[in-house]
This record gives sequence, structure tokens and C-alpha cells, in this order.
Amino acid sequence: MKIHLYQIIIICISSVMLFQGAKEFFKRETGQTFLKFAVRVVVWGGMGLVAVYPNSTMHFAKLIGIEGNINAVILTGFLLVFLLIFKLLSAIEKIEQNISELTRKEALSHLPEQTPIDRNTDDGQ
Amino acid sequence: MGKREGIDTVMGRFVHIVIPAYNEAAVLADVVREVQAAGEYTIIVVDDGSRDATFNTARSLDNVIALRHKLNRGKGAATKTGIVAANRLGADIIVTMDGDGQHDPSDIEALIAPIRTGECDVVLGTRPKVKGEMPFIKIIANKIGNIVTWLLYGIHVSDSQSGFRAYSHFAATIIDTKADKYEYDSKVIREINNNRLRFTEVPIKVRYTDYSMGKPQKQGFINGIKTLVRMIWGMLV
Repeated sequence: MKIHLYQIIIICISSVMLFQGAKEFFKRETGQTFLKFAVRVVVWGGMGLVAVYPNSTMHFAKLIGIEGNINAVILTGFLLVFLLIFKLLSAIEKIEQNISELTRKEALSHLPEQTPIDRNTDDGQ
Repeated sequence: MGKREGIDTVMGRFVHIVIPAYNEAAVLADVVREVQAAGEYTIIVVDDGSRDATFNTARSLDNVIALRHKLNRGKGAATKTGIVAANRLGADIIVTMDGDGQHDPSDIEALIAPIRTGECDVVLGTRPKVKGEMPFIKIIANKIGNIVTWLLYGIHVSDSQSGFRAYSHFAATIIDTKADKYEYDSKVIREINNNRLRFTEVPIKVRYTDYSMGKPQKQGFINGIKTLVRMIWGMLV
């Protein structure tokens, strides 16, 4: 069985994304829900599946009515765009969160000092 | 729960009211005075980068802790800032309510009662969804919001978008969401589910005025769609 370069690349990327998703989900990191994990498995697992079994695209092509090798181009383009959007939105979200956190810290720096706090726990936020 | 539970909280001394406010200078003073008249609470107003005199109004009021976001970050971010502040000030119970006067402070006692008795960690105020008491479009939007919240976060509640809620110190400490906008209210439901917090729902009164219905930053149809998109997108990225 001949393995093409695109198959190796897609399998590598899919594996990394699936591993990251599984790690975040099972460590119960904030914002990681089962649905989010399931979406990751479907999207990236699907990509990996197509890379391992390219013929599966023929069934999909028949289903949606597209024929020919254009599938490979569409798949690669879709993968790249999807990866870019994923990374871009993650970066934007992270920046937004950082801005909010900075704004919050600045606001709380003006919080008046009030003594009677008799707790063993911190606010933790 | 804190060491003072059952002593000071009964007097209402460590009940903190968090009021996020954005461009609410016209009504904020009345809202705060109403809360002060309803009981002995520590009031924290968080001005979310308003362009009007909201912050100066809050600062000029007696017995009010006024904080200001230099940038507008959204209702959720302002609420979270107020909750963190209340935690630092040693709040036993934290109540969040809107700054536009639609919530009735006389409901605060009913809202915090289940936390005082130790029955639960979070109390969700639920608005009456009866035609005549709530605009029809809001009833529909509310039901959609409840269904989406249930599908995404696993708990079905009667009013997933209500901002009138009460939290025990424990709940306020453990709930951690990074949602900045209106989806904050739904994300709290997720946190309740994830952290297995005990919660209950308490009916509250709501007052829809021309002011609250007319302000541009309210959770209207367009903002509702945006909130929905953010909730769904948050699941994907």
C-alpha cells in the first residue's frame, strides 16, 4: 500500500488535535465539555479516517454528487482553512480573555481595603 | 461555607449585592436607593466602561463600592468583577442584579433564603413567563435560550438568562467562567452542572419599563442571536 505525503500530514495534525482535545477533556479543564470533545472527535477523527482510507471519499463523492480527483484538493484546502480558523479564533478568544482579566485587575486594584475577612479559603478567581 | 454562617448572615451583614452597569446613569441612583431601602447590604456597582456618568453617579452614592472597567467588556465580565470583589470583601452570600431597575430588590430576601438555610449553593431568579407580564417576544427568546442551554450544558432551568441570582460564598468561589457577554448567565448553568452545585429556582418580579426596553445594550433579538452564536461557537473552538 502506497502512502502519500498528504496522508502523513493529515494523520499527524488529526492525531495532535485529537490528543489535545482528549487531554483537555479528561483533565476537566475549564470550558471542556463532552459535546466539544465529541465535535473534535468527529471533525478531526473524520479527517484522519479519510486520510487512512481515501476511498471513503468516493462514497461521499457519490453521495453528494461530486466526481473526480478534485476531492483531494477540496479536502486539503478545507483542512488548512479549518486549521487556520481554529487557531485564529482560539488566539482571538485568548486575547479577549486577557483584556478582560487585565481590565478586572485594574478595576479591583481600587477596591477599598476592608478588614473583617475571617476565612481559610481564598476567592480563587 | 464560612465560619460566620448563621450569625452575621442572618443580619444581612455579609450579603453583597453586585450591580453591573453600562450607561445606566439615568436610573442607577434610584436602583441603589431601592436596594438600600430593602435591607442592610453591601452594594458593589461595577461600571462596565460606560460613556455616560454611571461611574460618577455610583461613586457619589453613600455606602456604595464603585468599581470601573476602563474598557467595556460586557455584562458577564462586569458581573464576574463584582463577584470577585465581593469574595475579597468576605461576602457570605452574593446577589447579582441588573442595573436598569427591572429587578425588584424586595425579592432579595426570598432569593437568599435557601442559601441561608443551607439548602443550596445557587438560587436562580425566574421571571414570570406569562403574556402580559413579559413581552411575548421575550417569552419565545427565553424558551429558546433555555432549550439551547439545556442541550449545551445539560441542565434545564426555567430562566437561563435571568441576571437576578444568589450565590453562596462556596459557589461564588468555585464558579469560573470566562464568558464576558450575555452568555455568562448560561455558562453559570454549565458551571452548576460541572461542579455539581445544589441549586433552586425562585420566582421573581420583573418590571419592564420604557427605559429598560429601549436601551441599545439590552439582550434584544440581535444580541440574543449573537449570544446564541457565541454559545455554540464556544463549543467548537
